[in-house]
Amino acid sequence: MELKKIFLVLLLGLSGPILLILSEFFSWFSDYNLIELYVLYTDLQIEYSFLFLFPLISGIVCLIANVLVIYKVEFRIKSIILSFVGLGFQLLFFIDHISQEIEFISNAGLGFYLGVFGFLLIIINVINVLTTVENQSGG
Amino acid sequence: MESSFYYALGHDIRRKIIKIMGDNDYTSFTYLKKELGVSTGTIYHHLETLSELIEQKEDKKYYLKELGVYAYNSLKDNIEIIKFPKRVFKSPILKKLMVLTSKRFISFNKKDRIYTILISVIIIILGTIFSYLNGFNSFLLFFIDTNQENLLLLNQILINLSFILNFFAFFIIVESISRIFYKKNENILNFLISFALIQFPMIIYLILHFIFEYASLITINIFNFIDKILMIIFQVWSLWLLSYSLSVKKGIKIENCLIISLLLHYSGFTIILLTII
Repeated sequence: MELKKIFLVLLLGLSGPILLILSEFFSWFSDYNLIELYVLYTDLQIEYSFLFLFPLISGIVCLIANVLVIYKVEFRIKSIILSFVGLGFQLLFFIDHISQEIEFISNAGLGFYLGVFGFLLIIINVINVLTTVENQSGG
Repeated sequence: MESSFYYALGHDIRRKIIKIMGDNDYTSFTYLKKELGVSTGTIYHHLETLSELIEQKEDKKYYLKELGVYAYNSLKDNIEIIKFPKRVFKSPILKKLMVLTSKRFISFNKKDRIYTILISVIIIILGTIFSYLNGFNSFLLFFIDTNQENLLLLNQILINLSFILNFFAFFIIVESISRIFYKKNENILNFLISFALIQFPMIIYLILHFIFEYASLITINIFNFIDKILMIIFQVWSLWLLSYSLSVKKGIKIENCLIISLLLHYSGFTIILLTII
C-alpha cells in the first residue's frame, strides 16, 4: 500500500472509533457523561441503562475492525462487516437517545459532537476501505 | 443449416453463450465477458461462429434467433445442464457468511424459481403480520414503533401494509441505484423474485421481538439489551444478503454492493432521525 493510503487508513480508521470511545466520557445533553448516566439508570430505569454504553461498545467494535484492516488488508471484508455491527450500536443510540433529548440539541455538550464526528469518520473510512484498499489487494 | 447448428453447439463456450442468452432472454457483451471469464477476442470469435443462431439488435444486446431458441431447448432438455459460473469467494469469512446466505434461493435456477416465489410470498406475509402485531412501521431495514390508537382508519391500514409497501419501495431504490450508478439493468424479474429473501433475517427479529413483548420480557434489562443486539445482528445479516443478492443478480463487485448497502442503510437512518426531529 502507498504511504499516503496507509496514512489515510490509519487516520480515518483509528480517529473515528477513538472519538466515539472518548464521547462516552463527555456529557451529551446533561451535566453527566454517559458512564455516569449508565450508573444512574441502573438504579432508576434498568432496562434503559445499557443504551448509554452503546457509543463505547460501538467504538471498541469499530476499533477492532479497523485494527484488523491495518494489520492485514485481506481482512477488509471482515473489517467492514464488524464495522457494520459497531455502527449498528451507535445507530440505535442515536435513534433512541437523540430522539428523546432533541429539545436540548442546541445546547449539546462535547460528547455529542465527538460522537457524531466519530460516527461520520467511521462511515467515510468504510467507504475508503472498500473503494481504495480493494485495488491494493487485487480485489 | 444443420451442420452450422451442430458445429455451433460443439464447443463448451458456445453452449454456455446459448444457455446464458436463453435463460435471460438476451445478453450484453459485458455480461457475457463477466460470466464466461474469457478474453474479448475469444467471445467475439464464438459470437461470430454463432451468427446463424444469434443476432445483435439495435440496442447492442444479443438475442437468440429461431434456430438459437431451438438450440437452447435442445441443450436444456436433452444434452446437458450447463451450470452458471458460481461466484466463489476467497475470504474465509465470506465462505462462512455464505452458510448464512440462502445461496440456492438467491441465485436460483429455473427449477427452484417456484420455491423462491413461494418463500418470498411467505416472507412478505409473515413480515406484514408480525409488523402489525408488534405495531411497527417498516422503513428499509428499520422498524418504527407506532401508536395506532389515535390514527385514522386509512393511516392504520397504510401502517399495517407498510411492510409490503416498503418491500416494493426498497426494491425500486436498489434497482434504480444499480441502473443509474452501475448501468446494470439485467435480471430485474429474478432480482424482484428473490428480493424478499433480504428481509428474511428481519422476519426472525420480528418474531423474536413479538415473543419478548408477548411474554413481557422486554421490560427486563437483559432481554431489552438482547433485543437490541439481535436487531443489530439481523440488520447486518440483511445488509449482507442485500449485497450478495445485488452482486449475483446484477454482476456488481461485492465491495461496491457493500457500499450501496451501507449508504442505503445510513440514508434510511438519517431520514428516520430527521423525521423524529
